[in-house]
Amino acid sequence: MGKAAREASRERLRQERQKAEERAKRTKVLAVVGAALAVVIVVVGGGYLVLSQQRAEEQEFANRYGSLPEQRVQQDGSVVLAEDGADAPVVEVYADYQCPHCKQFELTSGPTLQRLAAEGEVIVHYRPVSIFAQQPAPIGANSLRGAAAARAAADYGKFVQYNDLLFEHQPAEGAEGYSTEQLKEWGTEAGIDDPAFAERVDAESEVVDTFTGGYLDDLTAAAEKELGADRIQEMGLSGLIDWGQENGVDGSFLEGTYVREAIDSTSAVEERYPSGANAFGGTPAVYVNGTLLGNEAYSGNGIQEAVEQAGPGEVDTEPLSADGAAADASPQPDASP
Amino acid sequence: MDTTHQPAPPASAPAPAPGRWAAVQPWVTLLARLALAGVLGYAAYTKLPPALSVQSVEAYQLFSPELAQLIGYTLPLFEFALALLLLIGLATRYVGAVTGLLMVVFIAGIVSAWARGLAIDCGCFGTGGQVAPGETQYGLDIARDLGFLALAGITMLWPRSPLSLDRLFGLYR
Repeated sequence: MGKAAREASRERLRQERQKAEERAKRTKVLAVVGAALAVVIVVVGGGYLVLSQQRAEEQEFANRYGSLPEQRVQQDGSVVLAEDGADAPVVEVYADYQCPHCKQFELTSGPTLQRLAAEGEVIVHYRPVSIFAQQPAPIGANSLRGAAAARAAADYGKFVQYNDLLFEHQPAEGAEGYSTEQLKEWGTEAGIDDPAFAERVDAESEVVDTFTGGYLDDLTAAAEKELGADRIQEMGLSGLIDWGQENGVDGSFLEGTYVREAIDSTSAVEERYPSGANAFGGTPAVYVNGTLLGNEAYSGNGIQEAVEQAGPGEVDTEPLSADGAAADASPQPDASP
Repeated sequence: MDTTHQPAPPASAPAPAPGRWAAVQPWVTLLARLALAGVLGYAAYTKLPPALSVQSVEAYQLFSPELAQLIGYTLPLFEFALALLLLIGLATRYVGAVTGLLMVVFIAGIVSAWARGLAIDCGCFGTGGQVAPGETQYGLDIARDLGFLALAGITMLWPRSPLSLDRLFGLYR
């Protein structure tokens, strides 16, 4: 009896142990399958959210400019965004592509200005400048490359889109940015498919390299030797380049370039608003019918109010005619936006 | 002790074949696992951005635009998730089964496109869409997917493999 009973109980124990093992294994399998399922859900669900958000943003970007009125390049390289024959206040926007506050302005108030322009409530006059042109590398070069590329985009009627893309990707101050590769890519993103745009970006970037890689130092050194600091200040960079041309610092590589245009625009605004309450003192500078806006420029509401309170204004530049652009060999935009 | 997969205990059986298989099998499974992970990961990567993937799905003309959109977005992600699981060796048997099932679905899709006389690229890797009627390669695509199906079958039937999380959790030792 004893032996049989022992054997039976051993058998029972063995069976129970086996059952427990099986149960443990089943639990493990369930846990592992559950973990795998969680991985799938996280990857597919999370990835789907990210992808569809990206898509929504792209869609929004594509649609955002659908209702934009025509963009007309002016003789000085600035761009006027307005409904045909709009009788509305003129908002001048002076911005440097390397200036962080300009980015802030563009993010907060840019869309409002675009909307008001589409509604015929405002004439937006975009006047890019390069107040940082003489800053040490890479700030000066970034600023000039950005301005020149934006001007090239304006030739294709895509200035507003490109302007937004530049500010969206503004390099941190002191960081190398606005590379030719990026500048070309954003052109495509803005809807410019003419290879001449990429060529222009390359050419202008080479001009910037020449400008920052020696020329500016030579010019400054020559000027400091022969002119006083006050006189240099007074001449502005444009005047200084002209002076250098007559005094042995060859700046002919700048002739007819968009880099030169950006530099000239900068000197021009300093002359346009030299002193008083409306003096141009840096970027961004936003003028409504010639009156400088303060901090209210940094909100969509603020700028809308300023525009609503102003009467109709006059744009002080003339549009660039099709043959006027011929010297730059840049074709007029062939497609409507 | 996983008795189901080792019917012949090596110690008592003089027959060398099962023993050798038992020794080689984990490495065969590891290879199959990693190869599938590579294939799926690459397939997922080349399908992006999702707009291209959606195009590939639409080319099959089997789904409504909304459904094609959803599949186009989630399929590369699902493939990527499977690749990840195969790589880390989590729930190997079940992931292998699901991968095999996916291959069956792919093959069915290609067969259906072939049968309906569509001239499309299968969109298995990279961009799909329409191709010139002479440039279809359905036979090749199906043969390739059958190969992947075989790999998935190996991981499903013999999930035991080194370098896997399953092993860490005490499964398929």
